[in-house]
Amino acid sequence: MLLCSAVLMRLILIRNSLTMRLNQIKKGGLFRVKDLNCCNDCVSRLMSMGLLPDQEIRLVHEAPLGDPIAVEFNGCHISLRLEDAAHVEVEPI
Amino acid sequence: MSESQAGRRVALIGNPNTGKTSLFNTLTGMRQRVGNYAGVTVEKKTGTWQLPNGQTVELIDLPGTYTLSATSLDERVAVDVITGHGMGSNAPDLLVVVVDVENLRRNLFLASQASELGVPMVIALNCWDVAEKKGLQIDCKLLEQRFGVPVVPTVAKRKSGTVELAKAVEKAIETRPILVRPKWPEPVQKAIKTLHEELVTKRGEALREGELQRLLFDRRSAVCERLKTPAAEHQPIIAAVRDQLYKDGFQPDAAESTLRFRFLNPLLNDVLERQAAMKKRSKSESIDQLLLHKFWGLVVFVGMMFVVFQSVYTWAGPVMGLIEGGVGWVQGIASEALVATPMLQSLVADGIIGGVGAFLVFLPQILVLFFFISLLEASGYMARAAFLMDKLFQWCGLNGKSFVPLLTSFACAIPGIMATRTINDNKARLITILVAPLMSCSARLPVYLLMIGAFIEPRYGPGVAGATLFAMHFIGAFVAAPFAWILNKTVNKGRKPEPFVMELPHYRVPQIKLVFHRMYESGKEFIIRAGTVIFAMTIIIWALLYFPRPAEIEANVTAQYIGQITEGALSEISGEILLDEPRATELEARIAASYLEQSYMGRFGKFVQPVFAPAGYDWKITVGVLASFPAREIIISTLGIIYSLGGEIDETSDDLRSTLGNARWESGPRLGEPVFNIPVALSIMVFFALCMQCGATLAVIAKELNWWWSLGSFVALTSLAWGAAVAVYQFGMLFA
Repeated sequence: MLLCSAVLMRLILIRNSLTMRLNQIKKGGLFRVKDLNCCNDCVSRLMSMGLLPDQEIRLVHEAPLGDPIAVEFNGCHISLRLEDAAHVEVEPI
Repeated sequence: MSESQAGRRVALIGNPNTGKTSLFNTLTGMRQRVGNYAGVTVEKKTGTWQLPNGQTVELIDLPGTYTLSATSLDERVAVDVITGHGMGSNAPDLLVVVVDVENLRRNLFLASQASELGVPMVIALNCWDVAEKKGLQIDCKLLEQRFGVPVVPTVAKRKSGTVELAKAVEKAIETRPILVRPKWPEPVQKAIKTLHEELVTKRGEALREGELQRLLFDRRSAVCERLKTPAAEHQPIIAAVRDQLYKDGFQPDAAESTLRFRFLNPLLNDVLERQAAMKKRSKSESIDQLLLHKFWGLVVFVGMMFVVFQSVYTWAGPVMGLIEGGVGWVQGIASEALVATPMLQSLVADGIIGGVGAFLVFLPQILVLFFFISLLEASGYMARAAFLMDKLFQWCGLNGKSFVPLLTSFACAIPGIMATRTINDNKARLITILVAPLMSCSARLPVYLLMIGAFIEPRYGPGVAGATLFAMHFIGAFVAAPFAWILNKTVNKGRKPEPFVMELPHYRVPQIKLVFHRMYESGKEFIIRAGTVIFAMTIIIWALLYFPRPAEIEANVTAQYIGQITEGALSEISGEILLDEPRATELEARIAASYLEQSYMGRFGKFVQPVFAPAGYDWKITVGVLASFPAREIIISTLGIIYSLGGEIDETSDDLRSTLGNARWESGPRLGEPVFNIPVALSIMVFFALCMQCGATLAVIAKELNWWWSLGSFVALTSLAWGAAVAVYQFGMLFA
């Protein structure tokens, strides 16, 4: 019961704040990091490169087969795979 | 130089792509050694650096890392060296942190982590020129004041700032400045204190505060591995402390980066005056609009790879021909000089000089490939190539960086395996090395040409012949994909996957000097570490083919031969037999064949022939297969000798082709039938396509990994080849 309401709350939150995941973003827009799943090795690597909540981020390239992607934050271009990008929550600015 | 100054050690640490290696080369010149850290495949580079006061220090080039939070081997090595567990027993006296001006914040994160381990530090602000050009202004004095360590602007490329850096290092070795550390919040301090109590006070572990931090913040710390306390005991302690930290409001995995960046940000406030670069496109990004384009990016990529492959496959050819010619010429001179002592003659000419030639011949390919690899890496394109190709390789545990090594392996697996060093992910690197020998290298071509020319083409015509040649080239690659997948599921099962997070660095113009330095290093390493093994193997195989040499063979074969001739047309003239030129040559070839049959290798071939019988091989083919384990192209000359045609024969020889066609079984159930038919020819080609018949590759695998992997891949690929050859023959016989 408790769990259900937590999930519901989260869904409402997500709908309200337009949160999406880093693997879903399109080229052109500027995004802001909301949350990161730091249990993922890739994400903890990204965090030590300075990708923290509130960091601005944008998509710069997609590989020919759609995966991996390259994002820019802090002036550097970093490539990562979609499965890992799914662990980063962002919202459009 | 006073006694206390001797043996000072300075380590260079920094993010990848900061020009750290360039600085290392500038500081040490050619006085450097390349090796591996004990037990791991991380390259270890050390050199000697002469300071202005005449003192020399040992300079260690640590692998480029973003963080000390150890997920990769590189990071583990860095932590071990800084804490004094990596090489020798002492921590370095000083760290020089190479910082890229353009990514100050991220670079100083690493510096801050390293400072916790208690080693004095000097910061080298590298790429100062690029920053100035881009209008980045950095206040060095302010940076020094706030961080408490000397900060020296350098441009490694132009050697500027190196004197200042040396002076700063000289002074810092005496004054031991430590980078300012963050004041950790109460819960973190409490956690560190608990760890100290449990591990240091109660269990007597020798750990500094910085190492305790690593235990607290890293999920799988490198420090864990050297605790004397067994894992069953120390793991619960660490887990409990991390749990407590979580309850106190800090997610342990995120705590370090969050808190450390929070500490660094205000310190960098007025130091860095950056124009709003975030929205402005950099030059690199504009280039990437083309090079990473979904269509044009691939076109450029294919073009570049074509050039690389062509240069290794074709352009290295003439030089290899020259080396082979040179070796042959020296062999000729040596044979002539030693004609009086046949054993010594064969040992020097075929064994020693042939052995030197056996590894020298790979040198042009290695140098050419490393020329291109250094260009691709130094310019920043290598990361883009990996980005473009990654998806193709993901599913079997490889990554985009496997492409160049595997492509190269189609020319030769040796430079290909050496090129896997560009793969940072050790898991992917391991698999790439193990499947590289399956790519059809140029040494297999003679075997294909011989078999196709002798059997496929006469029967089915040039169309099928061409298709067969094509199929043979790709059969290895087709087998390699599932093989890699299986390896990834089995061998790599327990290994942690390395996160595929890769920076696309700014494009830079490569320094030609560094490119040539890299070529020189790879060539030198190959000769010293693989060349010696290849040389030894060649001598051993020579001995197996040469000994024993019963004296009566020559007489017996001669008598038999003479007997045959006299029975026929020739008559004996006054007890002395005079042979004309062609007959003398044939007799010589028969004697050589007989010696080979009697040699240890020949006997061994007959002994193991039953193993190869299901693949349709007689003892002659078996000997050919066995003798070509050091180098697969040897099969041609071995078959030449065995069929009494002499060793100076090549795959296009009509004599050899017709002799093979006429060969008949000398014993066994198929007595009198032809040895070679289509299934046998296919089975031989498949065997050569898949088998690990290359001593040089084994030596290189042993050098890059270790002898166990080398042995393992030998056994695996040889059994795979055997199985496939048997399957092809048995299946083929159903239709023959």
